[in-house]
Amino acid sequence: MEENITAVAGEAAGTAEPAIAEQALPQKKKRKPINQQKLQDNIWGWAFCLPLIIGTVWFVYIAFVMALLLSFTGYRTGSTTPLLEYLFSMGEHLYTGYNDPNTLEIEKIGGAFGWYAQIFLQTTATDASLRADGIVLNEMGAYMFNTVFYLIGIPIGMVLSVFFAVCMSRDIKGGNVFRVLYYLPCVASTVAIVYTFKIMFKPQGVINSLFGLTNVEIGGSIGGFKWLPIAPDIGYSWNDLTGGTGGSAFMRDPFWCQGIFSKLVIITLSVWKGLGGTIILYVAGLSGVNAATKEAAQIDGANGWQIFWKVTMPDLYPVIFYNVVTAVIGGMQIYMEPELLMGGENVLTSGYVSLIYRYGITDKNAGGGAAYGMFLAVIIFALTLFQFWLDSRNKD
Amino acid sequence: MENENVILTSQSDEQTYSAFRYGLGAVLAFFGFSSKTHSASSKRKKLVGDIVTYIVLLFGAFLMVYPFWWMLAGSFAYTQDAGTSNLFNQMIWWPAYTVTDEGKNPFHNYIWLFTEGFTPAYGLPGKRGGNFFESYSYWRALFNNLIYSIVPVVIGVITSASAAFAFAKINWIGRNQVFFFLLAAIMVPGPSIMITQYVMYSAAMLNWQQNGLVLIIPGMFGSIMTAFFIRQFLFGLPTSIIEAAKIDGAGYFRIFCSFILPLAMPAIMAQGLLSFMGCWNNYMGSYIMIPRSSTWINLPHAMYLLDSRRDTDKAPIIAASVLCVLPVMILFACFQKLIIGSLMLTGSKE
Repeated sequence: MEENITAVAGEAAGTAEPAIAEQALPQKKKRKPINQQKLQDNIWGWAFCLPLIIGTVWFVYIAFVMALLLSFTGYRTGSTTPLLEYLFSMGEHLYTGYNDPNTLEIEKIGGAFGWYAQIFLQTTATDASLRADGIVLNEMGAYMFNTVFYLIGIPIGMVLSVFFAVCMSRDIKGGNVFRVLYYLPCVASTVAIVYTFKIMFKPQGVINSLFGLTNVEIGGSIGGFKWLPIAPDIGYSWNDLTGGTGGSAFMRDPFWCQGIFSKLVIITLSVWKGLGGTIILYVAGLSGVNAATKEAAQIDGANGWQIFWKVTMPDLYPVIFYNVVTAVIGGMQIYMEPELLMGGENVLTSGYVSLIYRYGITDKNAGGGAAYGMFLAVIIFALTLFQFWLDSRNKD
Repeated sequence: MENENVILTSQSDEQTYSAFRYGLGAVLAFFGFSSKTHSASSKRKKLVGDIVTYIVLLFGAFLMVYPFWWMLAGSFAYTQDAGTSNLFNQMIWWPAYTVTDEGKNPFHNYIWLFTEGFTPAYGLPGKRGGNFFESYSYWRALFNNLIYSIVPVVIGVITSASAAFAFAKINWIGRNQVFFFLLAAIMVPGPSIMITQYVMYSAAMLNWQQNGLVLIIPGMFGSIMTAFFIRQFLFGLPTSIIEAAKIDGAGYFRIFCSFILPLAMPAIMAQGLLSFMGCWNNYMGSYIMIPRSSTWINLPHAMYLLDSRRDTDKAPIIAASVLCVLPVMILFACFQKLIIGSLMLTGSKE
């Protein structure tokens, strides 16, 4: 009898007010009726999320776990053994590169961690003559130096975009037009932009004629200043610039001279391309700055500069922090710009991701590529944690 | 000069300024700066500030637009021999030697791209002289790009919106856990799983590379960032609409189709347009995942292949750049209010 009442009450109350139906019932003998509304909520909630869950788990999480496992093996890209089958019998396939007689002595210690040992031990030289003289760089170090060097663009871009955003949020006519114009580079294809910049930075190009560098004498030859090297291993060294004949690696290696100039081109490009997006975020952030506080400060006699630092900046801080975190994460993954600008991978400008591409796809060592990728993930995670730590320390 | 207020202070008898100092103060006041002798009116201050702001912003806008002008002008240059290509490298405003100087159609570079540039004869994939599906051409590149940027974006945005609806408006067990589980995925950097994905999509496993499915199928599952932004938007919609619809007997699917999709259309459109632009410009996806021997490479990738075959003849490459940038620019110009509004909304909510 009781159960019948429950069912009837549940039905009568319908989906709208199950709470009243539950209250009306005696609490003791309740056999927990299935709440139709909650059931619907759960079924549809999961159903609506299912595609996104499947996609994320499959293409990110499973891929990540497989990458971690792969990094201990010697799997070859393009191998006919299916990946899953290979990973299920992973114990038999652990990295054995250390049995190779060509492998460095110290790398053999790595065992299954051979790829990780290689990350730290592999060396490179910018050109053949330097290699012959034993002037070499740590490969990961050089590529990581390039990647970190590009991060200089972040503070430059930040200062510029805050400056322009403050200009745009003045009460002027046509502020929207400027916002659109500044956002144009963000929607343009990087490939198109890079090919344009490549010609603009030619020895006789626009940039050099603007700065009067079309006819300078460097390293014994007269001509336009070469922002980008003709070939990856032919470029200015400090000796060429200063006319010296110093024998140290620093003086002779174009990595420390031509590399810097070429990297400046890429920084210019990425700052120019990324400015619009951050400006929009800052304009949005500035419109959220409390106008009343500003006015109060004005009445108290603060000048524009003081108002900017004491009122606007603290309110803008969360936006800046968000921008810096995402910019560092994105900046560590730089790949396309240097590759396209120089026409291929090279030690002077390529970012760390180029190593992943080279080992994983060009050299067909999927295990190596995965190991380099894992190292990148660790670095980015550590950098992000570090920034959040700085942020939390700032607040105290 | 009527804007300026000359203040003769009470101490003016004791404190006399030299004529030079007095004149300087007047000039400064004219330009909106107050000094001891003159104080500038706030109107004048605003006017001068506005003029300076305009000059700064116009200069910045010039820097932003100039490379696009350069690109457009460069696409009319003639660069088929060493001399003309050197002239092209020095171009500032307009090419010194254009295609019309050579006695050709002004759109010669574009026509070259349409008719022969993007063909297997210039290092692009496919069979020489084959039909639309066997060979490569500019129209094929456009077709590929449209497929890659319409199919995954439309379906992906709808799946993202449905997930956003579930996260924002439906109360189900495990909702927050699932949300943070998905959001944590953005911490995995793309390049570190790039190789595994490559292996996963390669012939031994899914075989999505030669036929271009790699740039279509993963996108159809939606993206957590899109879902996140639409979710933020949906929080602003009143829940009472959904309650009312429920009482009237509508199921969740019906609610999603006839209430949420139309109401959240601005956010969905903006996110869809942004990902359309991302997919249109997705050079890296095509370069890494699709072998250069496949006719399913997209337009930026084809531009790269063409560029690597044309050592000095760069004007056609610049023309191809214009063609690659133009559709996105037009789209952005049409929907700029929606896109920038959405960026500002989501940006300010961070």
